[in-house]
Amino acid sequence: MINTNTSVSKYPQPAGTHVETVTDVEHYTDRLFRFRITRPPTFRFRSGEFVMIGLPNAEKPVFRAYSIASPSWDEELEFYSIKVPGGPLTEHLQKIVKGDSVLMRQKSTGTLVNDALLPGKRLWMFSTGTGFAPFASLVRDPETFEKFEKIFITHTCRDVDELVYSKQVCGNLINDPLCGEFADKIQLIQTTTRQKFTKMGRITELLSSGNLFSDLGIGRITPGEDRGMICGSANMINDTKTLLESFGLKEGSNSKPNTFVVEKAFVD
Amino acid sequence: MTYLVTDECINCKYQDCIEVCPVDCFYEGENTIVINTDECIDCGVCEPECPVGAIKPDTIHNADFWIQLNQKYAEVWPNILVKGDPLPKADVWADNKNKLSLLSEKAVS
Repeated sequence: MINTNTSVSKYPQPAGTHVETVTDVEHYTDRLFRFRITRPPTFRFRSGEFVMIGLPNAEKPVFRAYSIASPSWDEELEFYSIKVPGGPLTEHLQKIVKGDSVLMRQKSTGTLVNDALLPGKRLWMFSTGTGFAPFASLVRDPETFEKFEKIFITHTCRDVDELVYSKQVCGNLINDPLCGEFADKIQLIQTTTRQKFTKMGRITELLSSGNLFSDLGIGRITPGEDRGMICGSANMINDTKTLLESFGLKEGSNSKPNTFVVEKAFVD
Repeated sequence: MTYLVTDECINCKYQDCIEVCPVDCFYEGENTIVINTDECIDCGVCEPECPVGAIKPDTIHNADFWIQLNQKYAEVWPNILVKGDPLPKADVWADNKNKLSLLSEKAVS
């Protein structure tokens, strides 16, 4: 296989970055893939946070925000990425293979963290597309299960094969060394909006109609018991946020935890 | 796309935004903070952190005015990387709106 991104870059390493090595790449569709890289020994993050990722392919490389999809205890870092034709980063990033180098800025941040939520019983993670990535991190972190009794993850995409990654992560949880014992606390709800599937519809429609709750045989969201995390497109975030507010939930942040938090999933 | 610091920050400078910015794009004046709109990646993490709601998306009414103001000072004030203390009377000024006339053009000393 031709290595398109040799591990020795001809460009100087940008200040404030780590140079890490790709350890695994898996392509799901012509639009989606995941990759894993080595983790710098000094790098600490909270499950659910994101970092800036780039390639050593220019004097001033393009960086994009990527949610870390692996949990904070993992010795490697995993990312779930879209492939955008002509996209400044993903056009090149989608070609990486094992052994290539990836740049990562040193600072991780984010709002989709357990710290930004007040204690509750049920945690809802609402995602579309690659917005599932931060939840792939949080569902593999024992802290999430220590804080919540039940976790509902919704993942909505246009087509069925775009749901493979979330099914893989949640399905493999039972074999996870730290979270396997909590696998029955998780419920993954996958829906499509275009291709025919067992469950179809936008999450906002399922929430507002109440079908989401009746299908699960549970009561509606209440501010006393439920907590929410939202990650998707700007429109999906705004609509889901309005619905959670109609249930009485309030947006929180790192400095002021509350009953739900939001974060944009990056699309290019 | 960028986020903007508006005049609600003036005389407060709570700085909860500083530590969450993934690209360190805040710049510090004597009595307020601004965003370098060329560096902001529009991630939105800072917006809910501000206790006075000073940080807004560039979809607000009058966004062009705030983009120009933020960029003008971001190019002359120093980059702020670490959260410091709020201004001494921040809590008193927090509920005041329309503080633009109080903006100091000086960089933080």
